[in-house]
Amino acid sequence: MNKTTIIATIFILFMGFFPFLVDSAWLSIGITFLVFSVVAFSQDIILGRAGIFNMGHAIFFGIGAYTTAILNVHFGFEIVETIPFAIIFPVIIAVLLAGPIIHLRGDYLLVATIGFNIIFEQVLKNNIFDLTGGPNGIFGIDVARIFGYELSSDKAIYYIAFFLLITTLFIIRNLDNSRYGRALYYIHKDEIAAKSMGINVSYYKLFAFALGAAIAGAAGVVFTIQYSAVSPESFNFMQSVMFFAIVLVGGSASLPGVIIGTFVMFVLPELFTEFKESRYLIFGAAMVLTMILRPNGVWPATFGNIPNYLKKKAASLKGEK
Amino acid sequence: MDIFFQQLINGLTIGSLYALVALGYTMVYGVMKLINFAHGDLVAFSAYVGLTIFSQFFGANANSIFTVITIFLFTALIVAFVGVVLERLAYKPLRTAPRLSAVVSALGASLVIQNSIMLIWGPNMKIFPSNLIPNTTWQIGGVILTFTQVIILALSAVLMVALYFFINKTKIGTAIRATAIDQDAAKLMGINVNRIIMIIFIVGSALGAVGGLFIGIYYRGLTFDMGWLYGLNAFIAAIIGGIGSIPGAMLGGLLLGLFNAMISGYISTEWADTFTFILLIIILIVRPTGILGEKIAEKV
Repeated sequence: MNKTTIIATIFILFMGFFPFLVDSAWLSIGITFLVFSVVAFSQDIILGRAGIFNMGHAIFFGIGAYTTAILNVHFGFEIVETIPFAIIFPVIIAVLLAGPIIHLRGDYLLVATIGFNIIFEQVLKNNIFDLTGGPNGIFGIDVARIFGYELSSDKAIYYIAFFLLITTLFIIRNLDNSRYGRALYYIHKDEIAAKSMGINVSYYKLFAFALGAAIAGAAGVVFTIQYSAVSPESFNFMQSVMFFAIVLVGGSASLPGVIIGTFVMFVLPELFTEFKESRYLIFGAAMVLTMILRPNGVWPATFGNIPNYLKKKAASLKGEK
Repeated sequence: MDIFFQQLINGLTIGSLYALVALGYTMVYGVMKLINFAHGDLVAFSAYVGLTIFSQFFGANANSIFTVITIFLFTALIVAFVGVVLERLAYKPLRTAPRLSAVVSALGASLVIQNSIMLIWGPNMKIFPSNLIPNTTWQIGGVILTFTQVIILALSAVLMVALYFFINKTKIGTAIRATAIDQDAAKLMGINVNRIIMIIFIVGSALGAVGGLFIGIYYRGLTFDMGWLYGLNAFIAAIIGGIGSIPGAMLGGLLLGLFNAMISGYISTEWADTFTFILLIIILIVRPTGILGEKIAEKV
């Protein structure tokens, strides 16, 4: 067992027993942490692993949340029944939005995704088709039920979020060891080289977008269950900026990095309400300072995400020389 | 037709404001290849600084040319200084770092400036006094033209022409253009790149300060988070014109202002921002280098 596995195991065990150790205030902070870390991980697939400058990630989180809310409130779906839609819609939107702009150079892509996020926010605020509820959003969303059993307690919601995090980590682990993960890694390292080696760059980039959007959409469902309400501010582009910053400040393509980033950006503010006023000032200063001291993030991935067996092979080849 | 001419004047006014702010983005991008996300917040900051100078030192004694010039000069000086400090603290240490690090640093700096404004001046809207510039209006046909609009159009035109000559006819301007093309080669030619970048931040921030003051005078309501709105619009203007190109930023600003005004006049004000960003995305897809930008071949 290497260091990462040990840390991951301890982390997962701790998070698994967390609800039994704390009171209800801490429990809801725990849920927030789990949901936002899942979104941050899904952003990390796009930004950290594929190296696509996506600054509109809150869109997919928001579409997931709004899909559940709209289907439940306006069309009478059970929360559980909305889950497939809340995962598929963000994927469709991700492919439709990213498709035309995927070939853009980094900074242009970044601006285009900000643009999409602002359009998304305006669509929500202007109550399109009388579905999104305008600036106030949608209230009165039903509790989730599985086989008639109500999942309304904080503990139940916590374990839904925990299950989602485990699933996400499992997906990322498999991605890293798969052909897709390696393709993304090479595209990130050197796009032109990857292209000339026969990797279909646009296809894999869209794949990263779709996978990230699907996971963010699923996180949106849990967000809706937790608050039984959705509103445009939760998915505005400042949120996207936050997710963007979490991945890069924490360390891209690094699991501990993303966890640290989420903790600092979303959990610390909940703990210290005294500095509510100045908290973004402190975060801003911390972002600048972190980038100056550690341009690759607090806890960067040490060797990208090349699978272990390839690393060993490379090491043995070096030895032969 | 009255709506058309009215929106034409409004659009040109807003457009010159965008252009003034866009110049700051485009110059920094041209030399450092960095989107200076903090520039919009610097613009908002300058509106607040101007407001404070006015209310602290002049109060009732408004309406004189001397007052107006003093406010503009001092605001430009203060904001230029802050711009240089911003570059020193947030960007200079990251010149050799991965590109995304500088982007995150710029976002961090933006948050710092925005929230400093909130902590200093409070989270509520501040109203810019109306007696800084005379309230004269003219009516030509059915179209209303205010003295403020005339001043904005005239002064922005003067500043842009001045900048054009500064960049194209002076020695420092030549050095700036050389640095924008190739920093290493410029260094070999004996150009002090650090100094050039400092000059760019001084000029860009000062122009942004003028833009910010005009935004205050024209719209009057100031909020601490307005920087992103004007900043993004100005940045879109820079992209439309071709980022890195100074005439491009001016042209892009005017075009975007006209586009905005026409959408607000004929279609809807609620969806105006949406149309702006749709325009941005269409331009990025069709011609990412903008109207006056050069096509850059990808390095292999």
